[in-house]
Amino acid sequence: MPVLSDKTRQSAVALGVLALALGLGWGAADISSEAGYAGVGPNFLPWLVAGGLAVVAVFLGFEAFTGGFRDMPDPQALDAPPVSAPCWSGFVWMSGGLLLNAALITRIGFVFSCALCFACAAHGLRQAQSGARQGLRSWWVDGAIGLLIAAPVYWMFTKFLAISLPGLTQSGWL
Amino acid sequence: MDILNQLMQGFATAGTPINLLWAFVGCALGTAVGVLPGIGPATAVAMLLPITSQVNATASMIFFAGIYYGAMYGGSTTSILLNTPGETASMVTAMEGNKMAKSGRAGAALATAAIGSFVAGTIATLMVTLFAPVVAEYAVRLGPPEYFCLMLLALTTVSAVLGQSTVRGLASLFVGLAIGLIGMDQITGQARYTGGVPELLDGVEIVLVAVGLFAVAEALHAVLFEGASHDSQNKLSRVSMTASDWRRSLPAWLRGTAIGAPFGCIPAGGTEIPTFLSYAVEKKLAKGEHQAEFGKKGAIEGVAGPEAANNATVTTALIPLLTLGIPVSNTTAILLGAFQNYGIQPGPQLFTNSAALVWALIASLYIGNVMLLVLNLPLVGLWVKLLKVPKPQLYAGILIFATVGAYGMRQSAFDLVLLYAIGVLGLVMRRFDFPTAPVVVGMILGPLAEAQLRNALSIGEGKWTVFLERPMSLALLGVVLTVLVLPRLLKKRG
Repeated sequence: MPVLSDKTRQSAVALGVLALALGLGWGAADISSEAGYAGVGPNFLPWLVAGGLAVVAVFLGFEAFTGGFRDMPDPQALDAPPVSAPCWSGFVWMSGGLLLNAALITRIGFVFSCALCFACAAHGLRQAQSGARQGLRSWWVDGAIGLLIAAPVYWMFTKFLAISLPGLTQSGWL
Repeated sequence: MDILNQLMQGFATAGTPINLLWAFVGCALGTAVGVLPGIGPATAVAMLLPITSQVNATASMIFFAGIYYGAMYGGSTTSILLNTPGETASMVTAMEGNKMAKSGRAGAALATAAIGSFVAGTIATLMVTLFAPVVAEYAVRLGPPEYFCLMLLALTTVSAVLGQSTVRGLASLFVGLAIGLIGMDQITGQARYTGGVPELLDGVEIVLVAVGLFAVAEALHAVLFEGASHDSQNKLSRVSMTASDWRRSLPAWLRGTAIGAPFGCIPAGGTEIPTFLSYAVEKKLAKGEHQAEFGKKGAIEGVAGPEAANNATVTTALIPLLTLGIPVSNTTAILLGAFQNYGIQPGPQLFTNSAALVWALIASLYIGNVMLLVLNLPLVGLWVKLLKVPKPQLYAGILIFATVGAYGMRQSAFDLVLLYAIGVLGLVMRRFDFPTAPVVVGMILGPLAEAQLRNALSIGEGKWTVFLERPMSLALLGVVLTVLVLPRLLKKRG
């Protein structure tokens, strides 16, 4: 993946904000302006927010092109947290875990779905830390720890607090 | 002695075994999330918001207040012992606390932080007890124009004044306001930005936004950018203070409280200013060898003062929350959301309509402070063990709790996809240094402010001049302008 310059990335953020502003404006056009006694109707704040975002987007774009966003934290400062090169493979693992969780939670139940998410996320984080390849064993360990966290959480919330979370079986324990 | 009477009744409610248990669990959980990096009180309360559908209002507010409070105690432990800057609230504590810990005085730093938090928290709770009913009585007389101006002040300060960049703060605020727009318009009942999805008529859940922006974004940031960072930990020494430590800490606690408490009362938010101010004052007042310790060996005043200021601000921030219904931080915004889940709207009427709840909550603050002192002084070694949890398991575990919060609210798997999307948004915001507090405060305060604005204009028969004709609202608009302009002028001159 080519390294993008700060200017490109910050311009992209400004464009994103502009797109959001346009989207909000487009939506605001559909909202009635019927004001009653108030003088401003339900479409007032949507237009205000859309307009505000558009102005902010212009400012952000201007900053991006004239030396970058202002007042950013100094990465060279002594107390700044160390930032390492982005670890995209770890990011993909964690994202995958979260999205798998969304896809599977109603099918295989909260406990197993969350344990899987835990294992994927932990795998990604470990990859980010060491970069080394991890054996099959660490998967088993992570999965087991995930189960050990998810199961008591599930019981606590469903049994004591009566919050319904999906289970795999009807027993209410898994 | 009406207040005393009601407070006693509050103690009676808060003192039942079951409510004491809620307070204790809240304090313990709060300390834990305060100690653990990557999760704070706002996230913890947000994740637990689903319990509002099952637990009664008094118990859950006591529980949430315990978390809110406990996290302040726990946060200082981490910032003293861990050599990484934590959240802004404890950043100042970290400056001197870290130095003290490095020169083998971690125990004294922890002790002065905990006792200082207790002293400041108790004095500030006393202020809440005495002043909140007075403010509420006065606030009853405020009309929609004044309310709108107060909310405008809160929104302005949280986005444009605090934080690094006004442009980025405003961007965050507008994003928050936009999220708040989704759903049914409160006055006309018209659907806005729902895209025909019936679930969106009730609006976007606070849980999703808060947990996504804080917990999921934090985990994604950790995996993407923080791989190589290794935390080093300072050694814990015996938690006690010498006579000289006491002599130096006590005035610092009181000064810190005096600086911090007023900042919480005004709807302007943020603990950064009072803690930095307190630090500057302590550094200035210190003499001789004590002053030489600042920034070198670590001066105990530099921990005691800011830590007290922090707790005092956080506690008195409950005054605007309870009496005006105006939140000024992430956590108070989410507490407001918790009230709303019960159909309770904090504001001047709260003290008459839900008197039992409010006074039980205030009483539980006193109780919680005592519990936290015990939890954090003799038992501090226990919490320090939490710092040993390895990062992969810590963040992966946080994601499990995030799932509970997001899914438990509405039982919708789609919400988990939305949670991830908001997490990615939070990651981008963090990467480019956009503040998150304006999003949460804007999302919750936005709809309330809009309703007040439209009611105000109704009163003024559609004329905007209504805001200028009423002295109170005119004065408030003046304050808004001042906080916007003054820092810029000072910056130009300085």
